[in-house]
Amino acid sequence: MPQTRNRAALPPQAGIGLRHPHLPAFLAAPQPAAWLEVHSENYLAPGGPRAAALERLRGDYPLSCHGVALSLGSARGLDRAHLARLRALYDRLEPALISEHLAWSVTPGGVFLADLLPLPYTQETFETLAANIDLAHDVLGRRLLIENPSAYARFREADWDEAEFLTELTRRTGCGLLLDVNNLYVSAANQGGDPKAPLERLPLAAVEEIHIAGHARVTVAGGELLIDDHGSAVAGPVWELLAAALARTGPKPVLVEWDTDIPALPVLLAQAERAERYLREASDEAG
Amino acid sequence: MKLAELQTRWARCLLEGGSDPAVLDLLADPPEQRERRLAVYRNNVRHALASVLEAAFPVVRQLIGAECFTAAMLAFVARHPPGQPVLYGYGDRLPAFLAEFSPLAQPLPWLSDIARLEWARNEALFAAEEEPLTPARLAAVPPAELPGLGVRLHPSARLLESIWPVHAIWDAHQAGGGAVDAVDLDRAESVLIWRQAGAVRQRLLTPGESALLVSFAADRPLAEAVETAAGRDSRFDFPAALARLLDAGVLVGPGRETGLQLRADSDGGIADELTAGRMRGSR
Repeated sequence: MPQTRNRAALPPQAGIGLRHPHLPAFLAAPQPAAWLEVHSENYLAPGGPRAAALERLRGDYPLSCHGVALSLGSARGLDRAHLARLRALYDRLEPALISEHLAWSVTPGGVFLADLLPLPYTQETFETLAANIDLAHDVLGRRLLIENPSAYARFREADWDEAEFLTELTRRTGCGLLLDVNNLYVSAANQGGDPKAPLERLPLAAVEEIHIAGHARVTVAGGELLIDDHGSAVAGPVWELLAAALARTGPKPVLVEWDTDIPALPVLLAQAERAERYLREASDEAG
Repeated sequence: MKLAELQTRWARCLLEGGSDPAVLDLLADPPEQRERRLAVYRNNVRHALASVLEAAFPVVRQLIGAECFTAAMLAFVARHPPGQPVLYGYGDRLPAFLAEFSPLAQPLPWLSDIARLEWARNEALFAAEEEPLTPARLAAVPPAELPGLGVRLHPSARLLESIWPVHAIWDAHQAGGGAVDAVDLDRAESVLIWRQAGAVRQRLLTPGESALLVSFAADRPLAEAVETAAGRDSRFDFPAALARLLDAGVLVGPGRETGLQLRADSDGGIADELTAGRMRGSR
């Protein structure tokens, strides 16, 4: 299990994603964000203004790199070229944390589907993920955090539930957990369950980063589904779930994700400030 | 069902829009909800890929309208889904697809070339950075070395030759651009696309300029490139063309920091802080 090389650790405070509409503000003056997150795949091009902007800014903020396309759940194994490119990126950016998803996006034929697709929690899936995470750890030379997914469909065949599956996975590979509280909420709503229940059984000692985000509601014949679209403010029940999570994990870096219909920067920073209040409460309770 | 088969079948449902009873049968959700739940993933994939293509081909979208564009993109995504896990390169096959997509290619024979232009702009945006050749650096080259000088093009530079007036059509669809009615469809155009100070730029080329740049791109030495251009275009004015190209920051020189003595007052092509930082490790 590799050592994580930290250039600057993420503080247990609220962070935001560095997004295109906000680049001019960030380039003009320091912003009150305790740390920044970027999507790794957006920085794999040979050049361009976005890459140049990050090169300017990354010395000023601790950085978390969130990958969306490594496809750890692919039956065909990992894309070696993509792994090598990520390694080069992380060597250059020196992020404090790197992460991926408990999902798959690449088919056995090598087609990339641009979404995080669901996995049955079976022995075969477990072995596939363990092998892929081991390889990723080897090549990247850094510990990966794995994010719990938002679910819209569930498989009948299962040897574990999601919380147990993640517990076994962290134990087996030494990976960490990126706890996405909005995903817990969305999955519970979509599958009928108590969103707090997994908190008792997830490997919370392995949590190094927490995500919160907005979601949307769509009407489905026979009911409603929540969609994890990161396109709005964080909902009330998700803030409550964050409080419940922090009561168990203690203060951790919390990211406010807002990736579509991106608001003005002050709106996003206000969400971060609200997350900061929950973190202070958790800190007071722990201390 | 083994994981590999599940993933292959799931992908087919998402890309081709059909149903697969074997896949639906694997789900634990109530049977009457399974299609709709699968459709959430299908919509996510379509939306993600359509967004990428919309961002890369805004003028094509304006030309054929949003609904038609969506329909064409769905057909394109099903036929040519991404083969790479990074999406800045997705859409390179759209120009060829549009050329063969007869519902559009027949009434709009120039549409594919507009897509080529927009793809070239996309490539320019994400290309590697390199320090441009400056008048000062060029002036520092010993005169005897000038004829054999290997001038190259900036990594973002793209040259587009079309039998259609693609630049005029594109320009007519920009805010403050020319009038659509004024576009003469009988004109062929040569267009230069490149990135300068973090922004994509484009302009028309004269036949001489086009020939010059093609020579530079083919690693022809300076004197030969100038001769070829003059031979192609009797009105070619090399000093004027060179001045424009240097000003655009689209030429890069041989030797970079080695072999050329920089004059003390050279401020060169460091036009903007955004381009000053070279992407170490990106090449």
